[in-house]
Amino acid sequence: MDMYNDLLLNIENLDVCYKISDGIVKAVKDVSFYLRKGEVLGLVGESGCGKTTLIKAILKLLPSNGYIANGEIYFKDREITKMDNEQLRRIRWNEISMITQSAMNALDPVYKVGDQIVEAILTHKAVSKKEAYSRAMELFNLVGLEKGRLNDFPHQFSGGMKQRAIIAMALALNPEIIIADEPTTALDVVVQAQILERINTLLAGYDGSMIMVTHDISVIAQTCHRIVVMYGGRVMEFGNAIEVLKEPNHPYSMGLKNAFPSITGEKRNLISIPGTPPNLLKPPKGCRFNERCPFALEKCFHEEPMLQGTKGGYVACHRFYEAEDLRAEAGKEETWMKIRKRRVMV
Amino acid sequence: MRSMKYILKRILQMILTLFILVTILFFLFRVVPGDPVSMYIDSGLDKESQELLLKQYGLDKPLLEQYIIYIKSMLRGDFGNSFQYGKPAITVIGERFWNTLVLMITSLAISLCIGVFGGALLAWKRGTKIDTVGTILVLAVRCAPVFWTGMLFLSIFAFKLKLLPLGGMNTPGTNFVSLYDKFFSADFLKHLILPALTASLYSAATPLLVMRSSMLEVVKEDFIELVRAKGVKEKKILYKHAMRNALLPVITVFAVQAGFAIGGSVLIETVFRWPGMGREIVLAVSARDYPLAQTAFFLIGTMTALFNLIADVLYAYLDPRVVIN
Repeated sequence: MDMYNDLLLNIENLDVCYKISDGIVKAVKDVSFYLRKGEVLGLVGESGCGKTTLIKAILKLLPSNGYIANGEIYFKDREITKMDNEQLRRIRWNEISMITQSAMNALDPVYKVGDQIVEAILTHKAVSKKEAYSRAMELFNLVGLEKGRLNDFPHQFSGGMKQRAIIAMALALNPEIIIADEPTTALDVVVQAQILERINTLLAGYDGSMIMVTHDISVIAQTCHRIVVMYGGRVMEFGNAIEVLKEPNHPYSMGLKNAFPSITGEKRNLISIPGTPPNLLKPPKGCRFNERCPFALEKCFHEEPMLQGTKGGYVACHRFYEAEDLRAEAGKEETWMKIRKRRVMV
Repeated sequence: MRSMKYILKRILQMILTLFILVTILFFLFRVVPGDPVSMYIDSGLDKESQELLLKQYGLDKPLLEQYIIYIKSMLRGDFGNSFQYGKPAITVIGERFWNTLVLMITSLAISLCIGVFGGALLAWKRGTKIDTVGTILVLAVRCAPVFWTGMLFLSIFAFKLKLLPLGGMNTPGTNFVSLYDKFFSADFLKHLILPALTASLYSAATPLLVMRSSMLEVVKEDFIELVRAKGVKEKKILYKHAMRNALLPVITVFAVQAGFAIGGSVLIETVFRWPGMGREIVLAVSARDYPLAQTAFFLIGTMTALFNLIADVLYAYLDPRVVIN
């Protein structure tokens, strides 16, 4: 496979800001990563780290006070940030669709669910209403909903059913990329796995790709080829999902890994990362993770770390060369307790 | 089928409401100080003649019996004779009622259109000059008393520009062969413009502001973002999704407002010399003309209840989340 021809989405040095009354929030800063055709990319990070902002920026669906301040988003060879509304409109859903974070209010309450799927199809395809409707039936079947429920209104659906309906809608036009913002949070664990598998099979069927925002490391391990670890609006680490999970190069990735239980591995205590994410209105100098990093040096508080190449991606850490030693340290609870002490002292 | 049942149920409820209204009206007028005896029966008459007259009006019987007689005859469509005119109350008020109704429905329809589309526009253009200027303008109109705007319009359009008539419902001397002829003639419509405009401007403000704030809520909803993500055209998002959802609270407010509009028509009718029932009601109340006043208030009450019924049915139709049972 050619390394560069199958690049589907390529984001370069993306900055996204929000203008609020207190100033400008740099919610996403200098983010770069890529997505290849047929791949699933996992996007992880704490709440408020800019994941949702990032994926909304890809479709230019930012709220009115949000804007892309810098950087490029290439979809194949087209530059999304330079597109006018009509060009964007044509790409939306047809080529890049979206499964929103909260399924509860994502459907228009006054229209039947089926009609809303039909609307998505008819917006982009010159087919008859009947054909669109039969496609909707097919989709409902795929996600495990009775086709009779197409005639129901959203309020007649449970949370899980709404989520499935939106997944069905997202798949309606076989888009090249599906952006899924925690697509299965409304579903119970058993169904989650089922639905994810279903989505993956369908995507694989037409070589579609997905960007998936999730908190669930196990989901990433199972389904993602690539992973982006975000913190405070920046990418801390980007790379091959299995490699990053197995041998994280960034202290934050190490911390994330610690915070999740391993089903197959040895029994151990879960370690959380003490502290809270930085205020993006006034981001800290140097590395954004510095205050919560047990390995932070003097340098980390002054100098922003450069991106360093790793096996399958890059990492933003001054101590990347010592990653192997740090990994051993990061596995111990005392290491992270140090930060708590340090915070008290400051 | 289920919706037919629902409408039927609401109509029964409405009838009950009206019955209560009639009862309250009946006793209310009799509790109010001042009585028709002193107003319509000359104190110079001898005692026997006075009592004869009282008997004629049925005012000699105990209150409860009067009430039962009143309800019984009302069910037969007999609203009693006006004390002042000596004619059936319904005849006196009937024609005027239609005049008021035509003016009111016209102005309500206009104000609903202005409210819905104006509110949607302001919300869609939120933060721009259109929104700022528009909102201030709406508030200004809302604060201006109707008789003042009415006179302002009269002085500009009728007096200065001489585009429209100064008042009344038709040019004096015109005769009409039918009701249709009366309400659909060009002459009538010319007379209708200014009062209808004045009334609708006043009553458009509330639905407009409700629509605006409702729209601002709706456009923040997740489903609007999803529709946008679907690639639906902005215009279609506006009217098919945003406006359609924002309309719901406006309907409720509007039903309430319709009631006020009938009550408020007195001022407009006075300014434009519109032969409606507004002034007739004031006269009837001050003259203790029970049958006439009761009939008029009953008609107003019926209209209000009817508007509420229409709003409820419309709401149930527009919002599938309303459970009909």
